[in-house]
Amino acid sequence: MVEWEYNNYLMVVKVLNDFLSKLDSQCSCVLQQRIEIRKLRQGEHLILGFSIGGGIDQDPGQNPFSEDKSDKGIYVTRVTPEGPAEVAGLMMGDKVMQVNGWDMTMVTHDQARKRLTKKNEDVVRLLVASLLCNTSPFVQTEFAI
Amino acid sequence: MASVNNSKNLRDSDIQKKIDHEIRMRDGACKLLAACSQRDQALEAAKSLLTCNTRIMAYMSELQRMKEAQVMQRVARRSDGTRSSDAGPMDDRLPCKGKVAISDLRIPLMWKDTEYFKNKGELHRCAVFCLLQVGGEIHDTDMVMVDRTLTDICFDNTIVFSEASPGFELRVELYSCCSEEDYSAGSAPRKLASKLSSSLGRSAGKKLRVAMDPGACSPTSNAGAATLLLPGPAVAGPKYHLLAHTSLSLSHVQDSFRTHDLSISGNEECSYWVPLYGSVCCRLAAQPHCMTQQMMSGCLKVKQLGGDPPSWRNVYGVLKGTNLFCYHRQEDMEANVEPAFTIAINKETRIRASEKDPHSKAQSICISNQYGGEEVTHTLSTDSREETHRWMEAFWQQFCDMSQWKQCCDDLMKIELPSPRKPALVTSKQGSLYHEIVIDTSDDISTVTDILTRRMQELELRSQLGTSPPWMSLFEESPGGPRTPRLARHSPRSPHRLPHSPLSSLRCPWPGLLSSDASLTSDSDSPCSTSPCSRHRGWAEPLSLSSPRFRPRTLSLDAKLSTLRGRGYGGVLQCSCQPPSSSSLAPIPAQCIPQATLSCSSSTSSNSSSEGSHSPSSLDGTPFSRPSSARRSLRNLRAKLDPRNWLQSQV
Repeated sequence: MVEWEYNNYLMVVKVLNDFLSKLDSQCSCVLQQRIEIRKLRQGEHLILGFSIGGGIDQDPGQNPFSEDKSDKGIYVTRVTPEGPAEVAGLMMGDKVMQVNGWDMTMVTHDQARKRLTKKNEDVVRLLVASLLCNTSPFVQTEFAI
Repeated sequence: MASVNNSKNLRDSDIQKKIDHEIRMRDGACKLLAACSQRDQALEAAKSLLTCNTRIMAYMSELQRMKEAQVMQRVARRSDGTRSSDAGPMDDRLPCKGKVAISDLRIPLMWKDTEYFKNKGELHRCAVFCLLQVGGEIHDTDMVMVDRTLTDICFDNTIVFSEASPGFELRVELYSCCSEEDYSAGSAPRKLASKLSSSLGRSAGKKLRVAMDPGACSPTSNAGAATLLLPGPAVAGPKYHLLAHTSLSLSHVQDSFRTHDLSISGNEECSYWVPLYGSVCCRLAAQPHCMTQQMMSGCLKVKQLGGDPPSWRNVYGVLKGTNLFCYHRQEDMEANVEPAFTIAINKETRIRASEKDPHSKAQSICISNQYGGEEVTHTLSTDSREETHRWMEAFWQQFCDMSQWKQCCDDLMKIELPSPRKPALVTSKQGSLYHEIVIDTSDDISTVTDILTRRMQELELRSQLGTSPPWMSLFEESPGGPRTPRLARHSPRSPHRLPHSPLSSLRCPWPGLLSSDASLTSDSDSPCSTSPCSRHRGWAEPLSLSSPRFRPRTLSLDAKLSTLRGRGYGGVLQCSCQPPSSSSLAPIPAQCIPQATLSCSSSTSSNSSSEGSHSPSSLDGTPFSRPSSARRSLRNLRAKLDPRNWLQSQV
């Protein structure tokens, strides 16, 4: 390959970039993390301390947290202050991808709720995705699974 | 040189085959036209004839263009002595092709009030259809009968052109034919045919004959050049005329409905006249191949931040759309695992090749993006110079494609492929509603009546909107479940819809159930004092308690049906119709649904975490099983059947 070709690329890419119209570029950096929540016993119930919304049987257009309004995944809509979920690091707006290995991206709302509230489980290990904005994408490489 | 000729010969024979195919189709249509006696059949056959003729013309002109290009090239080569392919790589870069889809064509009509009040006895009807053309690809829509009861001409078809260049021109032509003509009119068609044959024979036919003279065409085409151009033998039958046309191009492409102007030919005196408003609404979407296909893939090394000497991480990169996905390994990509990270490659990205690294011989590629106010640069490298060169080529091609396809490269536009199965309940007024609906034998009477009332509502709405109801998808094998995304396409239409009065025309034998359907959703609002409902209030819009007797189709209706489908008809509605044993309400079929919801209000709000343990398959499993706590499932049912509230559960 000839040396000058790379300089050509420089020049032509610059020229092309100049031709292209400006547009706001959106950043969609997603942080995936594993969160372990230990259930808290309240009377005869085990609670996690957060609320979920979404599901394949729900209207995804009403999800205020999703970036893509056709996303029917399960989202965290509320986190009880100082509850087990908040302590573990769960935040409002997180998308729950997996619960103890079970997929949560293609489930109905009721299925999702049931997978989180199994009576024989003390601990739930969630894989959640949080949307980050205006951060360096290198953050992803550090936290990626 | 020989190989170039061979490929050209191949293309010639391809087109020749297509022409032969169309000629056969045309012959068949002519025979059908001559043989059929029914008006509808004749109109359909005439439509096929027109389409075939147009296709033949298009293929002929393409053949001619190719011949001309061949001749020009030969002349150029002889005079220059140089080959055109010697020019630098920059001149040859062509943008990728893409799919262009046009759907939901709707042409508003503008009848004069005199039309409505004319008591001529018979309606003046016309048969219309659209012909859509991109380059050599011609498609026709289904035929629609238009009379003064129609406010818009709607074509349900989605037409996809698979190989369109960014400079495409989509020609939309509306043809119409009066459907009351006497088809056996003797002189008129013959005159037309003879006129056409003479005019074509003189000018265009001669040109084509000359063009097809040298070269590799089949010998028969030469002699038949003039006769091929005739619009078939002079067949008596309905003739379509061009009523309106327009041309769409890349600037009209958008991921939503748009209105375009129509050029109308013809006037009120013509028999085929239909009073058009003058515009056409449609959704024109484009998917360039650079957005849907992998343009480049291979192993890359990504420089990690920090550390001296800088470390490199091996990834498998895939360039697709506006992103460069980097996976840990190639197997991850094939297994559809999430990529390790993604680098955006879009209009804002700047790519440059950096100076040669003194340690390694290869040059690295720097990709810079702006995130907010910061500039983030990724440095990539490959194992060899050739690889780096290939990646730069790929990026360059990507930029070229994005600059040509413009707004189509911002986001991937959805194109729904037309389903092969044609829904049979298009406009057939004959036939009973009963045999068109699939009903499980285990369903009981209220389920059936519920389904039927909904079906009738849909049919009324459908005749207004002219589209197939989204719940049709329930009966198709769609892997992803009910396709509620289709609903979003209907919302822009509502401002155009004339107010309809379906109440008078709705022939509902069970008016009680119709109101109960409305009250199902309104009743769920009334017992709002209980906590299950209030919990759901979070994101709901203000609910109207006075719902109209006939609700226009909203998302909730279809979501309702989709939840019904998801849970099985029997399981959900069965439990609503058998009131819980603890309730003292008498089961009255026509009103059992609202009664069931009232009983829900009396149930206490048990913590949902306790529900999970009991009968986990109560509603998901067999449709025949009765849940152990009917009240609990009823409350779930009510909440689920009212997805105006976006359901939230506390865990």
